[in-house]
Amino acid sequence: MSLSTLTKPWEAMSYGFLDGSAKRELRRKMLKSVAVPGCQTPYASREVPMARGWGTGGLQVSLTLVNPQTRVKVIDQGADDSVNAASIRRFISRVAGTPTTMDTLEADLIQSRHRIPEEILREDQVLVLQVPNPEPLRPVQPNMSIARQMHADADYGRMWLQLYEQIVRSGRVMQGASYPSLVHGRHVMTPSPIPRWDVPKLHMAKHLTILSAGREKRIFAVPPYTKVEPLVFSDVPYKVEEHGHLTCTRSGATGFFMNEIPQDDGSSAFEVSDSEWGVKTIRARDGEGESRGETWYKDGEMSE
Amino acid sequence: MAYVATRGGERAIEQSERLFREEMGGFDRQRVEEVKKSLPYLIDRVMGEASLYDEDLAALALAQTGGELYEAVLLLRAWRTTQPRLQVAEPIEQDTLFTHRRISAAFKDIPGGQVLGPTLDYAHRILATDVLQGEGYAPEPVEPAANPSPAYQPSVSAWQAENDLLEQPTPDGTTGNDIPDLTREPLLFPSKRAHTLQSLARAETGGVLALGYAAMRGYGQAHPTVNELRLAEAEIAVTHPDGRQFSAGRVKVSQAEVVDKKGEKLGIGYAATLGWNEVKCISAATLDLNSPGAEKGSATEEEFFLYHTEGVESSGFCIHFKLPHYVTFQSSLDAMRDAKAKKAEQSKSSDMEPAE
Amino acid sequence: MTLTLDTPKIVQTRPLLQVRDVSKSYGPVQAVRNVSAHAYPGEVLGIVGESGSGKSTLLRMMNLEEIPDTGSYTLDLPDVSGNLFELDRFARRMLCATKIGIVYQNPHLGLLMKHSSSGNVAERLLVAGERSFATLRQAATEALDASEFPLDRLDAPPIELSGGMQQRVQLAKAIALEPALLLLDEPTTGLDVSVQALVLDTLKRLQQDRHITMVIVSHDLGVIRTLADRVMVMRRGEVVETGLADQIFQDPQHPYTQQLVHAKL
Repeated sequence: MSLSTLTKPWEAMSYGFLDGSAKRELRRKMLKSVAVPGCQTPYASREVPMARGWGTGGLQVSLTLVNPQTRVKVIDQGADDSVNAASIRRFISRVAGTPTTMDTLEADLIQSRHRIPEEILREDQVLVLQVPNPEPLRPVQPNMSIARQMHADADYGRMWLQLYEQIVRSGRVMQGASYPSLVHGRHVMTPSPIPRWDVPKLHMAKHLTILSAGREKRIFAVPPYTKVEPLVFSDVPYKVEEHGHLTCTRSGATGFFMNEIPQDDGSSAFEVSDSEWGVKTIRARDGEGESRGETWYKDGEMSE
Repeated sequence: MAYVATRGGERAIEQSERLFREEMGGFDRQRVEEVKKSLPYLIDRVMGEASLYDEDLAALALAQTGGELYEAVLLLRAWRTTQPRLQVAEPIEQDTLFTHRRISAAFKDIPGGQVLGPTLDYAHRILATDVLQGEGYAPEPVEPAANPSPAYQPSVSAWQAENDLLEQPTPDGTTGNDIPDLTREPLLFPSKRAHTLQSLARAETGGVLALGYAAMRGYGQAHPTVNELRLAEAEIAVTHPDGRQFSAGRVKVSQAEVVDKKGEKLGIGYAATLGWNEVKCISAATLDLNSPGAEKGSATEEEFFLYHTEGVESSGFCIHFKLPHYVTFQSSLDAMRDAKAKKAEQSKSSDMEPAE
Repeated sequence: MTLTLDTPKIVQTRPLLQVRDVSKSYGPVQAVRNVSAHAYPGEVLGIVGESGSGKSTLLRMMNLEEIPDTGSYTLDLPDVSGNLFELDRFARRMLCATKIGIVYQNPHLGLLMKHSSSGNVAERLLVAGERSFATLRQAATEALDASEFPLDRLDAPPIELSGGMQQRVQLAKAIALEPALLLLDEPTTGLDVSVQALVLDTLKRLQQDRHITMVIVSHDLGVIRTLADRVMVMRRGEVVETGLADQIFQDPQHPYTQQLVHAKL
């Protein structure tokens, strides 16, 4: 054995930035998290050339899953052209040579910060959600080691109590985004800070969702066709944001999750949050052809 | 296609980075050399926090980021990620450290002697404004001691253990690739000893100081006495594939032992870092000293201080709040408005009750 | 003194609760030494002793918060079997949540001080799996009502309540799931004498209405006398005397008990 057999020809960077051992660990942890849906699996979470909290967890998953043929879409708050989405997309394609797309239907892998596209995802697509805080119990138990034990015991009484308290105090569950949800009837997970509008899209979905928190070093998954049930009392139904009746001032699309844009006159205008859905709607309106796929919501209602 | 025309994200981020670079100007090999030569203590701090010992790369990271410390450390950590782990060096024992400075506050004198070494501790902190007037600053020559101190010394705690004043921790026999490595495994609690020491070694200096200082001021249970503080150079001994051991070079290291009485014996806290980082070592050792039995959620509890002194994570999370959060915000807004409407409806109906 | 002439509880053949030969040391201190205790269904067992006698440690063992070094613990209930000290963390938690209620001297131990009072009670039902908001609300209200808690303060957080009210919230929480066993650790200590009497009244009434098996620990003989059917006297980690309440109070045998009783009377 000599030093030359221990090393390899010098390269500035491995394919997809991460080295083999990092990717192997991620693949193992992803498999584990698919095997135990909704359960947070700790992983080493290497440092990547992007600040923690800026999608490093999602990025490590994406970099591990892609090959040079994988068509990658990256969205941030629903938009493909958001600055950080652009930055991540550029990075993945720079280090892994992947083609990129903005079309949800064309994408093989979608890395997203806090939105699930409005078009229904297929079995051959993977959704990677960036997660700032993977621990749904954090508000009731900030200590990670105790929280871990609570998950092991399915000890979610405090979680429910929190919902009870909100109803008592405010007349409704006040949880905005990151609505805690029970996965496969066993683990409570945070679906990441996606709006409540998006949570039902995870329930019995055809696609695989991987949720990854880089800073907090936890990975978890919702495999295809897995139950994802928001925590709700049997007599207080789950409520998504009341956006079903809103119309996008740019595209005219109605019945989807909207961004509210405050106007000078004190009123609000609305723009569809899934920017690519807006673009497709405009194209169809302007006679440039129909490219829209099936959507989860129809006429502002989640379809069965 | 008005909608598409607004897609300025890609261009905007490119131009904003260009602006930053343009304002800072170019830099070259010579700038990197100057940074390395003129700012050795900053280099040490950065190397410690990056857990990467390479003065040239540390200087490069500083030059490239204009001294934005968190960015510099992140650059180095991200570069480190791409490097294979070829070898694990032999463990370093205290008595093999080539010692430059070694002081103890616990005893007036210690076996081997107090070695002040290089320090600004007793300097008068007067700004050398003359330099700005064009005067050069040439340091006074050092007069060597008549009897030089021995370069190699055991630690003070070794003497204390011999005298039954403290319990030396049982040596961990783990070697080579079996030694837990924080950069390749997640930190879980209760933390492995190796992880704790590694995490403190690469912790953010200011963060360790803040929490360590809180413990020193009285929010901890133990009051530290600096048993030994040492600045030294360590030989990195690695094994060649043919079995021979050789030195891969020397690295600057610093370490601190702090003690406190714990019943009849002394309790000990320990920390060591790459590079010479005195404040960080003492603070980290103080946290280590205070951590056994610390209350959950207190600043001296292991989980609390290890999580919150991790500089790349904490600074990254802090700046992530600059990212747009309007989807999450919209979702909260919806819940708030609905709750408000419900309340208004309720008070309206209760207002009406008397009329019935 | 009034005697209730129900079926004598002592006739029951199988105790609901049985603790056998438990010992527990903390370092050099032996807190409990070879203690056995039992309580029949519907019976109130009083444990009396000064601080440091091991009585509270024993009660915490009955709530499975404390596991002794040796000894066993059984509850004669459907679906509950074996030595409860050997249960794993999960089974222990479920058993405590559904079968055992406890009221601590210090309400901070038993209550979430900033949550609503009704929420504190509802948590019990949530742990047991109740998922209807209306049911939770109703059950919490009923339990609080049974504890004679003023219902207009239903959603006030305990931190805003008086000591007596806090104990009533603890009590409501303890009885919300109709536990087989109610443990009371100095439930009225630290309350004003008048408030103390009211809380004791509530406890007595609850006991009569619901026939819950209770174990009450107190240093106060008056409290024990008001509630207990049978009394165990503890001193320095050991049981020095045990017997029917009347017997202990009228005719104490052990010198220590005599001293206690006479000091009180």
